[in-house]
Amino acid sequence: MSIQLDHIHFTYFEDRKDLLPGFSASFSSSEITVLTGASGCGKSTLLYLAAGIYPHGAGILREGTVRVEGEDPAKLTPPRRCALVGMMFQNPELQFCMDTVKNELVFCLENICMDPSDMDGVIDEALEFSGVLHLKERTLISLSGGERQKVMLACLMALRPKWLLLDEPFANIDDRSARTIAAKLKEMNRVYGTGILAVDHRLDNWLEAADTIRVMEDGQLRPEVMTPDSLDPDVLESLGVIVPGHSYRPDIPPVKEGKTVLTLEHLSVHHKNEPVLTDVTAAFKAGHIYAIVGPSGCGKSTLFGALSGIFPYKGKAFLEGKDLKKLKKTDLGKIGFVTQNPQDQFVADTVRDEIMVGLKDKDTAPQVSEQVLRGIRLWRYRDISPYMLSQGQQRRLGVAALMAYDCHMLVCDEPTYAQDRRNTKAIMDGLCSQARERGVALLFSTHDRQLAADYADEIWELKEGSLHAFHQSGH
Amino acid sequence: MRSINPAIKFVSLLAMTFFLAYRFDPVLNFAVFFLSLVILIASGVGIKRLCLFMIPVLIVAAGMFFTGYRFSAGHSMPVTADAFLVSDSRWWNGLAQAGRVLAYGGLGFVFALTTDRLFLIRSFKDQFHLPQIFVYGLLAAWGIVPHMMQEYKRTRAAFRARGLSVLPVSPALLKPLLIKSVRWSEELAIAMESKGFSGHEKRTDYAPVKVRIRDFFFLAACVALMVAAAFLR
Repeated sequence: MSIQLDHIHFTYFEDRKDLLPGFSASFSSSEITVLTGASGCGKSTLLYLAAGIYPHGAGILREGTVRVEGEDPAKLTPPRRCALVGMMFQNPELQFCMDTVKNELVFCLENICMDPSDMDGVIDEALEFSGVLHLKERTLISLSGGERQKVMLACLMALRPKWLLLDEPFANIDDRSARTIAAKLKEMNRVYGTGILAVDHRLDNWLEAADTIRVMEDGQLRPEVMTPDSLDPDVLESLGVIVPGHSYRPDIPPVKEGKTVLTLEHLSVHHKNEPVLTDVTAAFKAGHIYAIVGPSGCGKSTLFGALSGIFPYKGKAFLEGKDLKKLKKTDLGKIGFVTQNPQDQFVADTVRDEIMVGLKDKDTAPQVSEQVLRGIRLWRYRDISPYMLSQGQQRRLGVAALMAYDCHMLVCDEPTYAQDRRNTKAIMDGLCSQARERGVALLFSTHDRQLAADYADEIWELKEGSLHAFHQSGH
Repeated sequence: MRSINPAIKFVSLLAMTFFLAYRFDPVLNFAVFFLSLVILIASGVGIKRLCLFMIPVLIVAAGMFFTGYRFSAGHSMPVTADAFLVSDSRWWNGLAQAGRVLAYGGLGFVFALTTDRLFLIRSFKDQFHLPQIFVYGLLAAWGIVPHMMQEYKRTRAAFRARGLSVLPVSPALLKPLLIKSVRWSEELAIAMESKGFSGHEKRTDYAPVKVRIRDFFFLAACVALMVAAAFLR
C-alpha cells in the first residue's frame, strides 16, 4: 500500500532544466507524511504527479514512473482516479462547482455512479465526520475558509479515496480550524486506512497528526526522516521551512516615537445586514508596526476592505486628521495597501510603469524608478508585464511600488501568505525596515502568531467585531 | 409558477413571444403584460424588486411609444398599414409598439424571476439532453461570478489608492479580471476532475428533473391563451 515514484524527470518547459531531476521516493499509506521545503523546490509538482493531474494538465514527464497502489493515476479516467487519490487544494474558494454543501456532495457521488438511494446516508455520514452536518443546506459562498475546507474534507470522506493528497490545506484558514481538520485526517488514516501525503511550509498544525516529516531540496528528497518529536530546527531553517516555536529573528531597526497617522473611532461594517465589525477603535503611529490576528472570518480582510473603500463603514476614520472618506486625490497615495495576492495591486502595463505611477510628477522619476528596480533586482524585467513575474518577484514589486509613494500608512493583508520561511523573513524584514526608516505606520494581518510576536510592536486581536490589544513585544 | 418544469416553461413562454411578434394588437400586448404582473406577484416576487426591474422596460416602452406615434403608416412614411405591422392611427401604433415591449418584458421577468438557476440547468440537461460538460461548466462559471465582483472592487480600490481615476468599464480594470478568470477556470477544472467529473463518463442522477402533469397543464394553458387570442382578436 504505497505511492511509488521512480526516477522522475519532470519540467514545465521543454527548454528548461528539470524541476524534479530524477526524484525517487516511496510513501506508505499506514502513516501521515508531511513533505516540506522551500518555495519552488517541487513539492506541489510532486503531489500533482501523484494525483495524476500532471503531466496531463501541465508539464512534461521526461522519464520515470508514478504508481499509486500499483496503478498509474494519469492513465485512469477521473471517476476511477478519484477512487484512488483525492486532493484538497490550497484555495478553498475554487474547489466547488455547485451552490450548496449538499449539492456539492451529490455532485461528487453522482460522478462515482453511486446509487441515488444510498446518497443521503453517505452525505450525512461524511458531513457528521467533518463536523459540518449543520451546514448541509447552506450555500458554499456563505461559508468561511475553514468551513469550506471542512466541507471539502466531507467530499473526500464521501468519495473514500485510498489516498489523500493535500496541497497546503491550511494556508487560508486559522489555526483552530487547521488543527480540527488535522485531527480528522488522522482519524481517516487510523480508522479507515486512508494514506495521507501533505505538502506544507508550516509544520505547527501538523505536530499532533503527522507521523513522518520529509524535506525536499532542489527537486530531491533529503535523507533526514523526522517525526514531530525529532525535528531538526537547524536543517529545517536552512531549507526555508517555518519551524514551530522558532523566532524569525527579525532584522529591523528599533522603534522611535512617532505621531498618530491613522485613527479609527467606533468603526462598524455590515455584510447583508449581518454585523462583521461592530466597534473598532484604534490609533496607529508613524514608524510603528502593528499586527492583527484572529480566526478566519473574524473580519480582518473586511477591516482592510473598509479602509480601502471596498466596503462602506459607519463610524470615523481619520488619516492625519482628515476624514478617510473625504480624502483628496493628492492624499490618496498616503495610505497604501499590500494585498494577499500581489496581482490585485497592479495598475500598469510594465514593471517600470508600475513604479513610475507613483513618481509621475517628479523630474527624477526615471532615475528613481531605475534605482528602485535595481534595488529589488527587477531592472532586467522592466519592460515586461508585472503579471509575467514569478510570485516572489510580484510581491517585491508590489511592496516597492507602494513605497515609491509618499506613503504614511501601509496596510498589508497577509503579506506572507503561502511563502516559505526565507521569503517570509525577506518580505517582513524589507517591509518593517522601510516602515521604520521612513516613519510609515505599518499594519499587517497574519495567521502566524510567531510572525506577529517577532515583528509587531503591538498585536491586536480581532474578535467579536472589535480590536483588542493583548501583547507588547517591546521592540 | 416556481415549481413548473423550467424547460417546459421556457418552451411555452418562447412560443408566446413568437406568437406576439406576429400580432399587431395593443390590447393583447397589455393583457399579456398585466397577466405577467399578476403571475409575478402571485409567485412571491417583491413589488419593490419588480418596480426596480421594470424601470428600464418602462423607459424603452416610452421610447417605443413615441417612435410608433411619430412613425405611423401614411404620416410621411413610405409604408401602408396593409403591408407592414403598423397602423395609420398614431395613438394605436404608439400603444402597439410600447405594449409589445411591455409584454416581452413581462414574459421575460416571469421566466427569470420565478426560475431557480440550478433547477433550470438540470432541467435543460434532462429535457433537452445538454452535454454534461456544458451543464456543469456553466454551474461552475456561475460560482465564479461573486469572486469576479469582489475582484473588480479590489482592482478599483487599488487604482483609487494610487490616485488613478478610471472608468467603471476601463480595459485597465478588466485586464486583471481576465487574467485571473483564466487562472480560476484552470483551478476549478482541476478540482472538478479530482472529484471524479469527466464530462464523458456515465453518472447517476440523484434527483432527475421530470415533466409532470402540471407542466403539461401549463403548456396547454399557454397554447389555449394563444388560440383564444387568435380567434377573439
